[in-house]
Amino acid sequence: MESGSGEGTGGFSAMDDYETLISTTDADLLKRSWRNEKAAPEILQFESSLVQRSREQIQLMEETVEEFMKNGEDPLTVSLYQMDIDRTLFLLRSYLRTRLQKIEKFMFHIQKTADLWTRLSRQEQKFAKRSIEDMKQHLEQSVLTKLPDRYKSHLKQSVISEEDDMVMEPKLDAFVICRTRKFLGSLPVDDSGEENPLDMYAGDIYALRYKSIKPLIETGQLDLV
Amino acid sequence: MYGRKACQLVKEFVSSDSGQLIVFNNDLFAQVIEECDGHLLQLQALLRKMQVEGSDNQTTKNADHFGALVHHLSLVRNKRCLMAYVHNRAEVIQNLGWTIERVLPEEIEEKLNSSEKEYFKNHSATLQSYMSDLDLDLAVDMVPPKDPYIKVRVLEEIGNVVLSDQLANLARHAILFLRRTDAEQYISQGLMEELTG
Repeated sequence: MESGSGEGTGGFSAMDDYETLISTTDADLLKRSWRNEKAAPEILQFESSLVQRSREQIQLMEETVEEFMKNGEDPLTVSLYQMDIDRTLFLLRSYLRTRLQKIEKFMFHIQKTADLWTRLSRQEQKFAKRSIEDMKQHLEQSVLTKLPDRYKSHLKQSVISEEDDMVMEPKLDAFVICRTRKFLGSLPVDDSGEENPLDMYAGDIYALRYKSIKPLIETGQLDLV
Repeated sequence: MYGRKACQLVKEFVSSDSGQLIVFNNDLFAQVIEECDGHLLQLQALLRKMQVEGSDNQTTKNADHFGALVHHLSLVRNKRCLMAYVHNRAEVIQNLGWTIERVLPEEIEEKLNSSEKEYFKNHSATLQSYMSDLDLDLAVDMVPPKDPYIKVRVLEEIGNVVLSDQLANLARHAILFLRRTDAEQYISQGLMEELTG
């Protein structure tokens, strides 16, 4: 990846190379996915192989630490390894947790949008299904059964509504802070019709509407911070 | 005025501290439901009247038509308010599922209605089943770790416990140096506190 070095302003190029170098480790990839997931208003594609690899690595490191302890290795070394495990574990847990919290919040929306539904892992789909059952039952018990017949749906306000207008959706036009990974050229960031293309250089930080940069995040050209 | 009670219900939720629940307002809730039934009766009466008069509700725009519309819209508004009330409370309950496992402390439990209690039970079971599918406890590690070990003070007598790296006697008031992951569960249950600085 010889990105940025040519197009970017000279001062950044050394840093770019360094960044691309370290971003090849799984820990860094995990950190990126975690940050993106935290900052994005909607749920992103589940990084199944990355999660799988991270878990294997954690297990491997745990075994190493145990071996070190048995062999009476320097406690400082052990402690450093342990810290590394803890950090990776935190990233992993927080990543999964953030996703579950999004599922909890937007479960009905995710369920009816096939594109979003396929972004979930198998376990997350199971979780979402059960959550939806629980929530539906709860809403029905507390409110819906007590309402008149034509107003009983949990997705629609009444039978007259043509669309599901009772479903909470993520705000895709919310502003997010993002950093470009490489030179992206000018970008039409405003759909208001105004001519306002933005020159995006590597390492620049912008506050933009999530909707307008969504494809760039999915392809990894842009990171959320 | 139509819809005022439902609005009160939502306002009551909004005015409570975020993340905190106040007692489920059964009284007001029932009143709003009653109001909904009232609207339906009047709505049906108007619709019947329009049918008898043979007027088509696409073309005739008379007083009855708009009367019916007002009742319909009030009903929908009430429904939205009721749903918002229940749903927002349910979100708080979802969050509880992350911090406390399975058993609700009494002071929270008495604020929920029966369906909410059931929801909490179901939802935290759902969460637990996800975690056991993954074989990973997500309820610990809520803040980024700085050090693998933290200093804690034991607030309630816990007794002898096997921790991941040692056998510890967690007597009341004891100050110990524990693995953060071990200590976190006790901290979230209020049995320990972290000593900082």
